[in-house]
Amino acid sequence: MMAVFDTPEEAFGVLRPVCVQLTKTQTVESVEQLQAQLRAVSDSALQELQQYVLFPLRFALKTPGPKRECLTQSVVECLTFVLSSTCVKEQELLQELFAELSACLYSPNSQKPSAVSEELKLAVIRGLSTLMHSAYGDIILAFYEPSILPRLGFAVSLLLDLAEREKSKQIKIAALKCLQVLLLQCDCQDHPRALDELEQKQLGDLFASFLPGISMALTRIITGDFKQGHSIVMSSLKIFFKMVSFIMADEQLERIPQVQPKPAVGHRVAELVVHREAKWVKNTSDKLTLLIKKIVECVAVHPHWKARLALIELVEALLLKCSGSLVSSAGPLLKALVGLVNDESPEVQAQCSRVLRHFADQKVVVGNRAFADILSESLHALATSLPRLMSAQDDQGKFSTLSVLLGYLKLLGPKVNFVLNSAAHLQRLSKALIQVLELDVTDLKIVEARRWNSDGLSASPEPMAVQPWSRMQKRYFRFFTDERLFLLVQQVCRLLGFYGDLYLLIDHFLELYHESVVYRKQAAMILNELVAGAAGLEVENLHDKHIKPSPKELREIVTSILEEYTSQENWYLITCIESEEVGEELTMKQSGLQAIASGAHTYQGASFPAFSKPSATICSMNSNIWQICIQLEGIGRFACALGKDFRLLLMSALYPVLEKAGDQTLLISQAATSAMMDICHACGYDSLQHLISQNSDYLVNGISLNLRHLSLHPQTPKVLEVMLWNSDASLLPLVADVVQDVLATLDQFYDKRATSFVSVLHALLAALAQWFPDTDDLGQLQEQSAGEEGSHLSQTPAIPEKGLENTTTAEDIEQFLLSYLREKDVADGNVSDFDHEEEEQSDPPREDESDTGPDIEPPLPVQVQIATDVMERCIHLLSDKNLKIRLKVLDVLDLCIVVLQSRKNQLLPLAHRAWPPLVHRLTNDDPLAVLRAFKVLRTLGGTCGDFLRNRFCKDVLPKLAGSLVSQAPVSARAGPVYSHTLAFKLQLAVLQGLGPLCESLDLGEGDLNKVADACLIYLSAKQPVKLQEAARSVFIRLMRVDPDSTWFLLNELYCPEQFTPPHPRLHPVQLRGTTGQGSPYAANVLRLLQELQ
Amino acid sequence: MAASPLPPPDPRFVLRGTQSAVHALHFFGGAQGQGHPLLLSGSLSGLVHIWSLQTRRPVAILDGHQGQCVTWLQTLPQGHQLLSQGRDLKLCLWDLAEGRNAVVDSMHLESMGFCRSSVLTRGQGKWMLAMPGSGSDEVQILEMPSKTSVCTLKPEADAKPGMPMCLELWQAESSPRPLLLAGYEDGSVALWDVSERKVCSRVACHTEPVMGFGFDSQKARGVSGSAEKALAVWSLDEQQALQVCKTHELTNPGIADVKIRPDRKILATAGWDHRVRVFHWRTMKPLAVLSFHSATVHCVAFATDGLLAAGSGDQRISIWSLYPISSDSSTSSLGHVEHREVGAHALA
Repeated sequence: MMAVFDTPEEAFGVLRPVCVQLTKTQTVESVEQLQAQLRAVSDSALQELQQYVLFPLRFALKTPGPKRECLTQSVVECLTFVLSSTCVKEQELLQELFAELSACLYSPNSQKPSAVSEELKLAVIRGLSTLMHSAYGDIILAFYEPSILPRLGFAVSLLLDLAEREKSKQIKIAALKCLQVLLLQCDCQDHPRALDELEQKQLGDLFASFLPGISMALTRIITGDFKQGHSIVMSSLKIFFKMVSFIMADEQLERIPQVQPKPAVGHRVAELVVHREAKWVKNTSDKLTLLIKKIVECVAVHPHWKARLALIELVEALLLKCSGSLVSSAGPLLKALVGLVNDESPEVQAQCSRVLRHFADQKVVVGNRAFADILSESLHALATSLPRLMSAQDDQGKFSTLSVLLGYLKLLGPKVNFVLNSAAHLQRLSKALIQVLELDVTDLKIVEARRWNSDGLSASPEPMAVQPWSRMQKRYFRFFTDERLFLLVQQVCRLLGFYGDLYLLIDHFLELYHESVVYRKQAAMILNELVAGAAGLEVENLHDKHIKPSPKELREIVTSILEEYTSQENWYLITCIESEEVGEELTMKQSGLQAIASGAHTYQGASFPAFSKPSATICSMNSNIWQICIQLEGIGRFACALGKDFRLLLMSALYPVLEKAGDQTLLISQAATSAMMDICHACGYDSLQHLISQNSDYLVNGISLNLRHLSLHPQTPKVLEVMLWNSDASLLPLVADVVQDVLATLDQFYDKRATSFVSVLHALLAALAQWFPDTDDLGQLQEQSAGEEGSHLSQTPAIPEKGLENTTTAEDIEQFLLSYLREKDVADGNVSDFDHEEEEQSDPPREDESDTGPDIEPPLPVQVQIATDVMERCIHLLSDKNLKIRLKVLDVLDLCIVVLQSRKNQLLPLAHRAWPPLVHRLTNDDPLAVLRAFKVLRTLGGTCGDFLRNRFCKDVLPKLAGSLVSQAPVSARAGPVYSHTLAFKLQLAVLQGLGPLCESLDLGEGDLNKVADACLIYLSAKQPVKLQEAARSVFIRLMRVDPDSTWFLLNELYCPEQFTPPHPRLHPVQLRGTTGQGSPYAANVLRLLQELQ
Repeated sequence: MAASPLPPPDPRFVLRGTQSAVHALHFFGGAQGQGHPLLLSGSLSGLVHIWSLQTRRPVAILDGHQGQCVTWLQTLPQGHQLLSQGRDLKLCLWDLAEGRNAVVDSMHLESMGFCRSSVLTRGQGKWMLAMPGSGSDEVQILEMPSKTSVCTLKPEADAKPGMPMCLELWQAESSPRPLLLAGYEDGSVALWDVSERKVCSRVACHTEPVMGFGFDSQKARGVSGSAEKALAVWSLDEQQALQVCKTHELTNPGIADVKIRPDRKILATAGWDHRVRVFHWRTMKPLAVLSFHSATVHCVAFATDGLLAAGSGDQRISIWSLYPISSDSSTSSLGHVEHREVGAHALA
């Protein structure tokens, strides 16, 4: 409603009757009438008539005798309305109104609030609040005279009482708000100007009398039931810290004289006045400390984040304003603050970080000796109780404890050295950290997890992670399960490394590392993080003037830790039960030999029955595995810490890491790979391969020196293997250098370590074959080794083209006859000049290459020299009594032949010497060996057919043919399981290989017939399908070599059609093959004959 | 533990990559704040590799001898200058300062022999050079860097010591007169007074050519190796007369080089039997046999910090750290050497 009456005169005219009415009859109705009229009066008019209007209302309140509550309430509300629209300009009026309003709530006899309705209470509280706001200008300050103390005291205690005891949340909040206003701590806009120093001091003196009452009551409210809601806690906290930081402000207390000036008040009031001298401050501070402790403990775990946020406000205000007077509370206050750094609420976290940063900027802690001491003390106390807390608390408790620890370190910053320099403190802290980080090593899977793919590293590295150490192996700790806890400890260690005296810390933890195997893993973890922290990796620095260690210092420190990590006794730990030999077996690359692989699985399963308890040895092996993993992770960290500088340490660090990359324990090889990724990242290499190839000289150095003590370094061949997989041709000189060492060592340890060396030789030759592909023969060779049927027909131009043509014309027949006659002539010895020329042309052009003067022998290319040296060894090892070695050697031999294929001068003499043992493998060995030997035979056949032809026909073919013939009935009868047996695989391999061999060896007619005879049986439909296929492939090859006789042979077996002579004068032809559809050979022969047409 | 023999000593590390036999080695101390020490190696293929001992990799490769074997390397005390002698009959002076590697001067050698030259610093940027002369038995002395010939030392007509095989210019502390020790083809060692151009003394130490010797000017004592199976220790008395003190029998014949460590505690020999032998210099007690190389060891060198390098026909340079030089160079480290007979077991 709009104000209608603007002038006091008009307003008076309207108000007078209702005021008179009210004075006469004090009823709710009259009050309401007054109020209704008041609404029509403008504020300025009302201000003029303030006293006049107030009179009937005050009169109503003051009228002695019992009053109805609803009347009082409406009077108070009306009064409040008037006050809210006007100013109180007279000191006396203010005091009187204050007294009259306060009186509404308590009965004159008792000091307890009288049992009035909630509505009335609320009305009075609002009235008081409005009254204080309506006080005009300076009269409000005059109000706060010592003489007001008793009245103010009543009001204050009344309000506190209401806030504490009332049920209604509304009243509680209103009471607290009002209290705030009453204590001049209101934060609303239209409040009086800022107070000057003197005024502040006066007010402070005055309010000091209430401090005990207020603080205790508020503490009771704050620490009350969480259910009362966060807004009450928030308001109470606000009043608490506003009051305390006002009354106990260092600024004010500094100016308090020791002697109390005589107060200008009566005796009774003077008793109430407090003098804030040193002793009082001390006493009050002690008492406040107790309260603050209670508050902090309670609110820090308040479920509502806003309450915790208010706590931060409290800490900030108290620490900033009362750092001197409340020094004894600094401990709990700081603890509360740092404890909230990792709060679950992001708002709280952010605010907390802001305050911490603010403190650091203001040097609140660092610049204050007392605070630093308190923090050091707290840190020490915490460190002392940390081990106990870590074993007793649950994860949540541990989390907050560790958060506090972290916060202390953050706040102390460089001052943390005060703590660390005391041996006792350092001892406590380190013991606690070591205990927290104790790993649970009872997990069985760690030992069991095996790396199956032995050359996993040779594969291209996975894309680099954005954050090098973001991939972490999952660890299980004895004392906690929450992963966030580990991150906290990590941060703690990093901060220590960042701020602490690095040499001192490293020395200390290295000592612990040495001291006992119990501490070793934890100490290593801590060392890793210390270094990372020292380099400032992921450390939040609050203190700007902190000097980091120089790169050189850091490098020296890392060097010394690395030396420890990779020393014989810390790096070569027992991590698996299996002996070296069994281990070798497990990682051996077994292309398709599942029988052996699964056998190994069951063997392993049997060694750890699932139900048995982890034995002590398994625990210690687990522990060893973890230790190695942690150390590897450390190396990765160090690389990250040093960046490009780490390149200087690669000469000593890369070799051990690579060694572990080939470890059979999954976790270890993973950790090593991840460390290498970190190194790549730090040192600026694009890939693992790049890293390895760029640092091969360092690796070769390690390899060659370790080969001298092979029994101490059995892993050495593995490293060489990995290096070879990752190198390229440019490293040939280095490789050649170390190969000499390898061969020399192999010659020395033929019996014991042949297995690992043979796999090195395999890697070596595979690398050579890859680096120096023989472009001439490569296509042919790949085809040979692929050994698949089908693709050949389309690729290779069939030699006797005419035989495969579809239609036979008269000219063809003529041509055929002519050439037949010519060949017959040649066979008879009638060689014409023309033919001779042609023959010369067809000579391979390579011939003259090898003929270049036998007197000046150019030095052999390095790769050829290596291959000959290796092949030499293979000849000896072919007859090794260990089957696995024989198998591997056959593979190596195969590769040797590939590398030497264009060097007949070197290859042939060696092949000649290798032949007898190879024949032995082919004819008189385990089927597995026969399979491999056959593969070698095929490669050899593809390379030097002429050399092989006679030997093959004489030494091998009869046996092969014999075994094919004798096995045929077995496979014809066998069931589906047969295809998993070695006998089957052997048959298959021989059948698949014979075709290409026949072709490349250019076998004579008689031998071809032997082959054909042996394979014919396998064209039977009774044979397993795969064998039939393979047999068909033999015949397809035979068709190319000699189509006519093959055609004849097939028709002899099964003749699909009757041949009608082209001319009636010719004899009809009758072939021996049956024509009936029932022949088991029908299907295959038909398919083959179709190929021929 | 006492029963099991110590493992044979290993090289600290091995430098690979010369791709040809190593014939000359020289440590370059990294003085003048140049940082980490360097090792220079000269190879059969005529290249000089400069190795950083920090990264263990070559930092530069000098090619100045037309593919002919580099036989001798020596840095000059002032400036970063290097002298290299090659079988292409050239003596090159290199400027290595601030990463440069250019030939600033070169001289023609007259002798085709294997004799390595020698340098004596004379102060004020001057130095004296002894190198094989034009006559097969002559030694030429030059004033450098002006290249003025000081004199030619030619043995008396009836002496016939053959070609000079190794040279060392030196001067006694008591007198500034330059002296030259020379080992000859006939197995003798002679002391020349350079200023008077005459032989002070000559003594037959070996029956085969002297391949190398080491000389300790403080004790006036030297040790020489030859193609034969013995080392000869000789000394110089006050009258500057050479005399053989004793000979030390070796297992295998042929010593290519002998060097005494700068602290004069131990000496090392480069053996044709692929081994480096280490002896106690005062007592000539054998201390260690270092077997690593797979071909003749052509040269050995000591760094001021005690590191030993050996270069071999197997194209590798092995670096050994044997008996650390104690910080104070008093006699205490000597006792240390005697107590730690690391490699004695390996003596064959």
